[in-house]
Amino acid sequence: MVSSKQLTFSYSPLKKFTFPDLHCNDREALLILGQSGTGKTTLLHLLALLLQPESGEIRLNEQSLQNLSAAEAARIRAKELGIIYQRAHFVSSLNVLDNILLANYLADKKQDKNKAAFLADQLGFAEHLFKKIHQLSQGEQQRVSIARALMNDPATILADEPTASLDDINCRKVVALLKNQSASIGASLIVVTHDQRLKDEFSNQVSL
Amino acid sequence: MNLLKISWANLKEKKLNSFLSGLLLTLGIGIISLLLLLNKQLDEQFKRNIRGIDMVVGAKGSPLQLILSSIYQIDAPTGNVPLAEVNKLRKNPFVKAVIPLSMGDNYRGFRIVGTTPQYVTHFEATVADGQLFSAALEVTLGSKVAEASGLKVGDTFASAHGLDEEGEAHGEKEYKVVGIFEPNGSVVDQLVLTDLSSVWAIHEHEEEARSEDQVLPGELTSGEANEREVTSALIQFRSPMGLVALPRQINANTSMQAALPSIEINRLFSLLGVGIDTLRALALVIMLIAGVSVFVSLYNSLKDRKYEMALMLSMGATRTRLFLMLLLEGLFLALLGYFSGIVLSRVGLWLFSRAAEQDLHYSLSQFGILHEEFYLLGGALLLGVLAAALPSLGIYRLNISRTLAED
Repeated sequence: MVSSKQLTFSYSPLKKFTFPDLHCNDREALLILGQSGTGKTTLLHLLALLLQPESGEIRLNEQSLQNLSAAEAARIRAKELGIIYQRAHFVSSLNVLDNILLANYLADKKQDKNKAAFLADQLGFAEHLFKKIHQLSQGEQQRVSIARALMNDPATILADEPTASLDDINCRKVVALLKNQSASIGASLIVVTHDQRLKDEFSNQVSL
Repeated sequence: MNLLKISWANLKEKKLNSFLSGLLLTLGIGIISLLLLLNKQLDEQFKRNIRGIDMVVGAKGSPLQLILSSIYQIDAPTGNVPLAEVNKLRKNPFVKAVIPLSMGDNYRGFRIVGTTPQYVTHFEATVADGQLFSAALEVTLGSKVAEASGLKVGDTFASAHGLDEEGEAHGEKEYKVVGIFEPNGSVVDQLVLTDLSSVWAIHEHEEEARSEDQVLPGELTSGEANEREVTSALIQFRSPMGLVALPRQINANTSMQAALPSIEINRLFSLLGVGIDTLRALALVIMLIAGVSVFVSLYNSLKDRKYEMALMLSMGATRTRLFLMLLLEGLFLALLGYFSGIVLSRVGLWLFSRAAEQDLHYSLSQFGILHEEFYLLGGALLLGVLAAALPSLGIYRLNISRTLAED
């Protein structure tokens, strides 16, 4: 479960963001809608502990995440958060499987090859496991990044513009995928986007 | 999956860059290693043969040439000196031993040296098969000569004139093999040793079949009994006091010159030293450039991999862990460069050795690791780590959020 209260952040005295309070239970999904420039990515990065808020509080499973050191933040990020970026980033020198296992490795967890294979199967890219990332299509790469986000059974999954470059059919497919997968591991799902098509897919919504 | 695997995968990804850095390191280390190997072996060989010989007397000319020809059997002798003058030295109170040498013929490129049994005991050579020469025209072969020629005890052969096999053959009188030496590690291995008188015996006959003006310099002529000549003589002193007056006396008052081995060899090495120092400087420059190459390669690669680094940091990697991963890349390159450099230097040594064997019958084929090469390893690793550390420090300044947001 994730919640935030009175979060604010400013890049400079002129560029200050104040965010609405958020709340999302386990197995539920929250949609954060906003046009460009409303601070969507900033909010996501705050929730992902990549940025420290100027004021306000984030709570994860009733634990307050205020004033964490960089190392603590990194540890929590590795174990409790799964982040899916808008443009998939991978380690280009490793193959698909190793990129997924990287999530385990960097969280100091045991590398679970079976789980990776299972997720690959579920998400439909099992035959590409030993290929290099650049050999996969964009859609396949996105599904790989979803699998990677799930590897550590995180408490929260954060998705940044997951449907931005997809057509209507694939857009719905990806949303369904995200909801199912996060529900199946008992995580909260937070999607940040400007894509109006997703308005109908989420009951829990917030606008920036 | 671990740091090693990721570092290695990154190196493989940038094949050309890694290849260039590796190649430069290999070259630099190869040259330094080769110089170390050659230096050690040349040093050993030169020292081994010069041990216990205080002075060499022979015909006037270049002292270095006298030393090279009489001790190392390289280069042509400077001429001949009367045996009587050499024998006079035996009476000198400072002189302990006089070992006369006569040279001028060869068998299949291996020199035939007429001398006394003292030569054999000086070089601590022992007979493996058969016995030491005693009468004229009896020879004992060095181990390499026996191996190369296939001659055995009891065989006879005709020598060729001069120092290379193409010389005119002395057909009438033949040498007889009475013994073969054990491998000795000294110049004896590559010589055919015989009694001093043999060389006169061979040429006596020849004299009658040839006119005077066909006599080559350095060639031994038999002449009459008291006009017998030798090529040179190795001298041992009874006390170092001999060095004080004797050489000067010989140079000024006799038809011979006295050369001091240690002085001439030091001079030779200092001449060679200029070449070796230049090569060493060159090798160090190459290694520095290798370091620069590693640096540039990693620097560029990091610029490209900015997102990957930010990604891994966002996934929970600590900055120090990523810093170590980058250092490992430099270390791998250094290790690879070191090992291929060591292999390269041995190949180079093998090539040198073949040439030396063919022309000079000296073998330079010790391929073991020298302890200086461990220092070289340390140097290479240090270079790799330093060259990698500089660009890798950028990890500590990476702004994760901004990098990930910049798509």
